Amino acid sequence: MVLAFFKGSSSDGDFEHIVTRSISMLADARHSFDLATLALLTDADPASVAEDIRDTDQRINDAEQDLRSELIVHVSVKGGADIGSVLGFTLLLKKIERIGDQAKNILELSEAGVQLSGTPEAEDLLAGRQVLSALFAEAGELLGDQDTSEEALVDYAMRVDAITAEHQAKIDGFMTSERPGKEVVPLAIYYRYLRRTAANLLGVVRTSAKPFPHADYLEAGAVDTDD
Amino acid sequence: MRGPIRSALVFALIYVFLVGVSSLEAGIKIMGQDTQESLFSAAGNPLAALCIGILGTVLVQSSSASTSVIVGLVATGALGVDEAVPMVMGANIGTTVTNTLVSLGHIRQSNEFRRAFAAATVHDFFNVLAVAILLPLELLTGAISSTAEWISERLVGSAEIEWNSPIKKWVKEPVGWIKDLWDALGTSGNVQGGLVVASGLVIILIALTFITRNMRHLVADRVERSVNAMLSRGGGMVALLLGLVITIAVQSSSITTSILIPLAGAGVIALRNAYPVTLGANVGTTITALLASLAASSPASLTVALAHTTFNVLGIFLLYVLPFARNVPIRGAERLADLAVERRSMAVAYVAVVFIVLPLIGVLALG
Repeated sequence: MVLAFFKGSSSDGDFEHIVTRSISMLADARHSFDLATLALLTDADPASVAEDIRDTDQRINDAEQDLRSELIVHVSVKGGADIGSVLGFTLLLKKIERIGDQAKNILELSEAGVQLSGTPEAEDLLAGRQVLSALFAEAGELLGDQDTSEEALVDYAMRVDAITAEHQAKIDGFMTSERPGKEVVPLAIYYRYLRRTAANLLGVVRTSAKPFPHADYLEAGAVDTDD
Repeated sequence: MRGPIRSALVFALIYVFLVGVSSLEAGIKIMGQDTQESLFSAAGNPLAALCIGILGTVLVQSSSASTSVIVGLVATGALGVDEAVPMVMGANIGTTVTNTLVSLGHIRQSNEFRRAFAAATVHDFFNVLAVAILLPLELLTGAISSTAEWISERLVGSAEIEWNSPIKKWVKEPVGWIKDLWDALGTSGNVQGGLVVASGLVIILIALTFITRNMRHLVADRVERSVNAMLSRGGGMVALLLGLVITIAVQSSSITTSILIPLAGAGVIALRNAYPVTLGANVGTTITALLASLAASSPASLTVALAHTTFNVLGIFLLYVLPFARNVPIRGAERLADLAVERRSMAVAYVAVVFIVLPLIGVLALG
C-alpha cells in the first residue's frame, strides 16, 4: 500500500476507477438477472443457479461498500469540490445494488415454487427478458461514455418509460383479472420486479448524466422515479 | 496549474523557506548578548520549554513551522540543545490541536463524533504519554539529545565547530537583502534584529503554507490511491509507513491526520488502523526541521532536528511496537471520546485546557 503512493501517474482520472467498477457491478447485476429470470421462465432448476446469484449479489454489495469508502476518501483528501459527483455516484451505486437485490427477489419467487414457463404469457415474458437484459448492456455503455449525447439519453429513457408503462398496465390488469390468484399474483409480483429493475436502470443512466439535485425526479419535478 | 510548474514552485518555496530560517539566525545575531539571554530565559526550565513548544505550535497550527523556528534559534547559540529538546516535544503535542479541532466539526452526530474524536485524541494520548516517559528520561540521562548528537557528529562534525552548510551559502544573499532593507529604513540594534526575526517568521509561515498547499495538489491523487489501498488491507506498520510518506510529501502532519478524521467519523477507517498512520505522520513531520537545519550554520541545530526524529521513533518503539503498551493510547482515546459524547462541552474544555490553559500556566509559573 505504501508502494501505491509511488505507482502510476499523479493525475489519474478522479472517477474513472469508480465508473469502471460501476460498469462491472452492472454486468454482475445483469448476470444475476439473466440467471434468475431463466430459472423462473424455463424449466431450469432454481437450485442450480441460486449459489451463483447469491455470490454475485454479495460481490455487488462488497463492491458498493468499497466504492462508498473510496468516495469518502476522495472527499477527505480533495475537499468538497466534487461533492455533486460523489453524491451522484453514491446514489448510482445504490441503484445498481438494488438491481442486484431485485434479481435475487426473482430467484426467491422460483425458489418458492413459482414456475411461469407454462403460463400463456411465457413467450412474451421470455421476449421481454431479452429486451431488459439488453438494456443492462446499454446502461453500461452510456455510463462509460463521458460524452453521452442528450439524444441517446432521451432515446433510452423513452424506451424504458414505455417498458415500465407496459409493466404497470399488466400489473393493473392482474389486479382485476378473473384468473385464479395463484396464477396472477406471481405474475403481478414478477412484473413489479421487472418494472423496478427497468426504473433503476434508467436511474443509473440519469444519475450519471443529470445534476444531482434533479436525479431521481422527472421533468418539472412532477413525478419521482419509482424504484 | 500544471504539475511541472507547481513542482518548480515548490522548489522555489523551499528556497524561500530556507531564507526565512536563515533570517531568524541573522536577526537574533544582530541583537545584543543580553537581549538574547533574556529572550530565552523562560526556556531554562524544561517544563516551561515544553509549554512554550505547545503554545507556539498551537499558535501557528504547524509543528513543521515551530520546530523550524526552534532549529533556527538553536543555530544562533542563544537557545541550547537542552532547552530546545523539550520545546520540540511540546511542538509534537501542540500540532495535534488541528485534528482535534477538525473532529469537533462532527460534534452534532454522536456516533460520528465518538469515532472522530477518538481518532483525533489517540494522537494526543500518544504524544502526551511519549513526553511523560521520554522527557524525564532525557532530563536524567540525555538519551535523546546524546543519540541525536552522535548522529549529527557523524553527518556534519562536532558541535563546537562552525558548519559550512552549502545551503547556508545559497541563502546568504537574500538574507542580506532583508537586513539591508531594515537598515535602509533606519533601524539598528535590537529593533533591527527583532524586525529581521519577524521577517524570517513571516517568510517561514508563508512559505510553509504554500509548500503544503501545492504539495497537497501535487500528491492528492497518490494520497487518495494509497489511502484506498490501506483501507483494503488494514493498518499496522505499513499504515505507519504510509503516514510517514504522505507527511513527508505534504510537509504537514496536520494534513495527514486531518484527512483521517472524516474517514474515522464516517466509519471508513477503524481507530486501530488510523492510529499507526498518525504515528507515521509524527515522524514524517520532522523532515521539515531537518531541512531547516541545512540552512543553519551550527551542527547543534541539526542535533535538535534529529532529536525530534529520535524522540518520535523512540515513542513509537515504546508505545506501539511493544504490544502491551499499544492499546494504552487507543483505550484512553476511546474513553475520552465516550466522555465527550456524554458531555459535549467537555470536548471543547479539553481542547482549551490541554492546548492553551495548562501550557499558559506552565509558561507563566515556571518560565
